[in-house]
Amino acid sequence: MAHLAVNDVRAKYGALEVLKGISFSIEKGEIAALVGPSGSGKSTVLRALMGLTPVTGGHVALAGDQLDYSNAKSVRAARDRMAIVFQQYNLFQNMTVMQNLTLAPLKIKRWPRAEVESEARRLLGLVGLGDKADAYSDQLSGGQQQRVALARALALKPQILLLDEVTSALDPELVNEVLDAVGKLAAEGMTMIIVSHEMAFVREVADKVIFMDGGQIVESGEPAALFDSPRTDRARDFFSKILRH
Amino acid sequence: MNYRFQFGVVWDNLDELFAGALLTFQLGVFAFAGGALIGLVCASLKTYGPWPVRLLVNAYVVFITNTPALIQIYFLYFGLPEVGVRWSNEACLLIGLTLNAGAYLTLILRAGFLSVRVTEIEAGQTLGMSLVQQIRYIIVPHIAKSIYPALANFFIVVLVMGTSVGALIGVDELTGQAINLSSVNYRWLEYFTVVAGMYVVLTFIASIGLALLGRWAFRVKAKIF
Ligand SMILES: Nc1ncnc2c1ncn2[C@@H]1O[C@H](COP(=O)(O)OP(=O)(O)OP(=O)(O)O)[C@@H](O)[C@H]1O
Ligand SMILES: [Mg+2]
Repeated sequence: MAHLAVNDVRAKYGALEVLKGISFSIEKGEIAALVGPSGSGKSTVLRALMGLTPVTGGHVALAGDQLDYSNAKSVRAARDRMAIVFQQYNLFQNMTVMQNLTLAPLKIKRWPRAEVESEARRLLGLVGLGDKADAYSDQLSGGQQQRVALARALALKPQILLLDEVTSALDPELVNEVLDAVGKLAAEGMTMIIVSHEMAFVREVADKVIFMDGGQIVESGEPAALFDSPRTDRARDFFSKILRH
Repeated sequence: MNYRFQFGVVWDNLDELFAGALLTFQLGVFAFAGGALIGLVCASLKTYGPWPVRLLVNAYVVFITNTPALIQIYFLYFGLPEVGVRWSNEACLLIGLTLNAGAYLTLILRAGFLSVRVTEIEAGQTLGMSLVQQIRYIIVPHIAKSIYPALANFFIVVLVMGTSVGALIGVDELTGQAINLSSVNYRWLEYFTVVAGMYVVLTFIASIGLALLGRWAFRVKAKIF
C-alpha cells in the first residue's frame, strides 16, 4: 500500500478549476518531483494536501487513513504528518531561530523541552546553521532563512515533507547550500514531494517525476526516462525548453 | 531690555506645578489607554466587519481626524450642557482626548493589521496552530512590533499637545496650572520657562521608558534621542 495515495483530487479558486483530477502515489522513503509550466497547479497540489486550498473532490489516503479535508480533525491529522516549506521564507520574524523551531513542538505537541531543544540543535546542525540558534530572521541571508524553514518543518517529525520551489527566491550562489540540505534529507530516507525548477537536482534525487500542465498530470515516470524520452508532445516541448543549455 | 528674572515665586509654587505635571501624565496615560481600546475595536471592525459597520467606523475616524481636538472638547464642555448633558471639565477633557486618540489609533492599528504576512499565518496553520495560537504567537507580536514606533510617537502627542488643551476649559493640568499661577503675579516668562522645561523632562522620561520597553518587549530598534 502506498504511503500517500492521491486519487482524482480537484481544487478550485472561485469558479476556476485549478486541479482537474490529480492522481499519484508515493511509497515511504520515495521522493517525487512535481514539474511543469508556471500556473500548471504544482503549488496548489501541495497546498491542497496541507489543507490550505480547499479540496473540492477526490480522495487522499495517508498511511492507509482517508483524509477528509472538510473535517477540522482530519486537517489537523494531515498537518500533523506532513510539513511544508514554501518558496517565500515565512519564518516567524518576532522569534529567534531556536524559537521558530521549538514553538510548535513545545506549545502544540507539548513535548518535553529538553528533548525538543536538543532535537532542534541537531536539525540546525544538519542544515549547517548550528551557530545561528539565537539569530532573528532579519539577521539571516535568504539561503539561511530557507534552511531554518526546512529545520522548522522537520522539528515536528513529519512523515512526508513538501517543498515548494524552496530555492527559486534565492540568489544563484545560495541555491546550492539549500539543495545540499535537501540532499542530506533525501539520503536519510525522508519521504518528500518537491516542486522544483532545478532539473539537475531533480534528476539526481527524485525517484519519480510528475509532469503537470493545466491542472492535470500529463505524464510521469523515472527522471531519466521522462527527461530524455518523454512520450507526450507537451512534456517533450516543456523539457526541450528547460533542459536545453 | 532690563527684565529681571525672578524665579523665586515659581519655586514657591513648585508643588502645584508638580501636581499639574502629574495630572498631565495621568490624563495622557488614560486617554491613550482608552483610545487604544477604541482603536483596537474599530480597527478590527474596519478590517473584518460588514460594510455598514465599516462605514460607521470610517465616519468616526474622518470626523475626528479632520476637526481640531479643541473643537471636540468644546463641543463636550460647552455644547452638550445645552442638551442637558453636563460633565465636569476633567471628564470632558478625558472623554474628548480618548475619543480623539481612538480615531488616530484606529488608523495606526489598522496599518498594523494589514502588515501581517499571510505566509507567516499559513506557516503557523501548517504547523498545526489553532486560531487562538496564531493570534497569540504570530499576529499580536507582529502587529506590536510593526506599529510600536508610531504608537510611542502618538503617546507623546497625546501627552503634550492633547492634554494642554485642558487649560482652555479650566483643567489644572500642567499648562492650566501655569496659567493660573502666573496670572496671579504676572511672572509669565518665569512660569512658562519652567513649565516648558517640565514638559521636556516629562516627554524625555516617557520617550526613554517607551524606547526601553520597545527594545525589551518587541525588539524595536528605537533611537532614544
Ligand atoms: N490565490 C489564488 N486565487 C486565484 N487563483 C489562483 C490563486 N493561486 C493560484 N491561482 C491560480 O491557480 C493556477 C495554478 O496555480 P499554482 O500556483 O498552483 O501554479 P504553479 O504550478 O505552482 O505555478 P508556478 O510555477 O508559477 O509557481 C494558476 O492559474 C493560478 O493563476
Ligand atoms: Mg508555485
